[in-house]
Amino acid sequence: MRAVLRVLAPLLGIVLATLGVLVVIEVVAAWVLPEQEGGLLVPWPEWGRVLAGLYWNDILVRGTAIGVGVVGLLLVLVALTARRADLRLVAPSDDMTVTTSPRVLARLVGTRVRASDDVLSASVTASERRVAVTAQAWDDAPDELRETLVDRVQELLTELPLRRTPRVAVSVQEREGVR
Amino acid sequence: MTVDMSKGGDRAAEAPAPVDPRVRRRSRSAVARSAGGDRWLTVLIGLVLLLAGVGVALLSYGVFGAGRASRPLLDPIMLDIVAAEPLLWRSVAIVGGVLLAVFGLTWVARSVRPEPRPDVVLNGGADTTIRVSSAAAGEAVASQAETLPGVARARARLVGSAAAPALRVTLWLADDADVRAVLARLHDEVLATARASLDLRALPVAVRLELERPQPTPRVA
Repeated sequence: MRAVLRVLAPLLGIVLATLGVLVVIEVVAAWVLPEQEGGLLVPWPEWGRVLAGLYWNDILVRGTAIGVGVVGLLLVLVALTARRADLRLVAPSDDMTVTTSPRVLARLVGTRVRASDDVLSASVTASERRVAVTAQAWDDAPDELRETLVDRVQELLTELPLRRTPRVAVSVQEREGVR
Repeated sequence: MTVDMSKGGDRAAEAPAPVDPRVRRRSRSAVARSAGGDRWLTVLIGLVLLLAGVGVALLSYGVFGAGRASRPLLDPIMLDIVAAEPLLWRSVAIVGGVLLAVFGLTWVARSVRPEPRPDVVLNGGADTTIRVSSAAAGEAVASQAETLPGVARARARLVGSAAAPALRVTLWLADDADVRAVLARLHDEVLATARASLDLRALPVAVRLELERPQPTPRVA
């Protein structure tokens, strides 16, 4: 969403600036050129006649209002979700800030989990609060594989100087077939 | 002559100097270019549109009275009010338009402006000024950081203003790197050298850690 906001913000600025310039041009034109028929750049007298024929309870007005509300809600959602999902690490000094991305943590956890001979494949999702691992194991894998994997991930998280240690959730799916 | 052999004295001597909260804030700001202004302005515009849309929809469905809902959009009462004071409303429209245009253009300019890369000016004497370019300082830090064990690649650049520069360092670590050791050596060796070389008492630093992509193994030996 951060990339969307980077594009959206200048576009919104351009829309506002254009709106302001058009208002100034049309008002000044209507003031100094009263004999001018219609608007200079925008046919606002025509729009005025259309609006004069519309009522607040018209379907068109309702639909437009709902559309405007939805666009507003989307803008709010885009802006609120455009935060950086960084993970903070403990820095050697206070004038230093150390961050990494959840993707890096997921890759480290994935490498550690896949290092087990009993694991065929694994997918990992990581955030500041939670690390979730879904591992595919051979059907002859030991019963305590899940606990072993949890311990391995916990060990990795202890090695990393994370400011906040995420919770670990591991699920193991057994795969049919010979190894 | 007396010598203080107490352990408390040693601890006091070893304790790091407290860091100014402003320097701490600058190190947090240096992590990435801030999108805070864009975010809050977008939220503001979104909220205005949302409230306007909801308000008009409620008015349209007769929540504020069936009489109001059946009035025309360009209400004759409002038109009469505007027609009674044309000079006032024209002035209001022009001032509003100018403010909107200035605000919009300022927002666009701030949004698309490249992030500043300040040079550092060193005092070389009475009539000498030494200017260290942002690129040169960044390259020096990056090349030194790349020599640390566990660091595959490094990139550094100065950010912030010329009066209050900060350093943004990105390190690409090997899979088996000891993160704590890398950070400690970066702080003690690389950044200490950078501060001394640039003659900066305070140089807030933001470090971004990435993992180096593993080299693909050749399919044919």
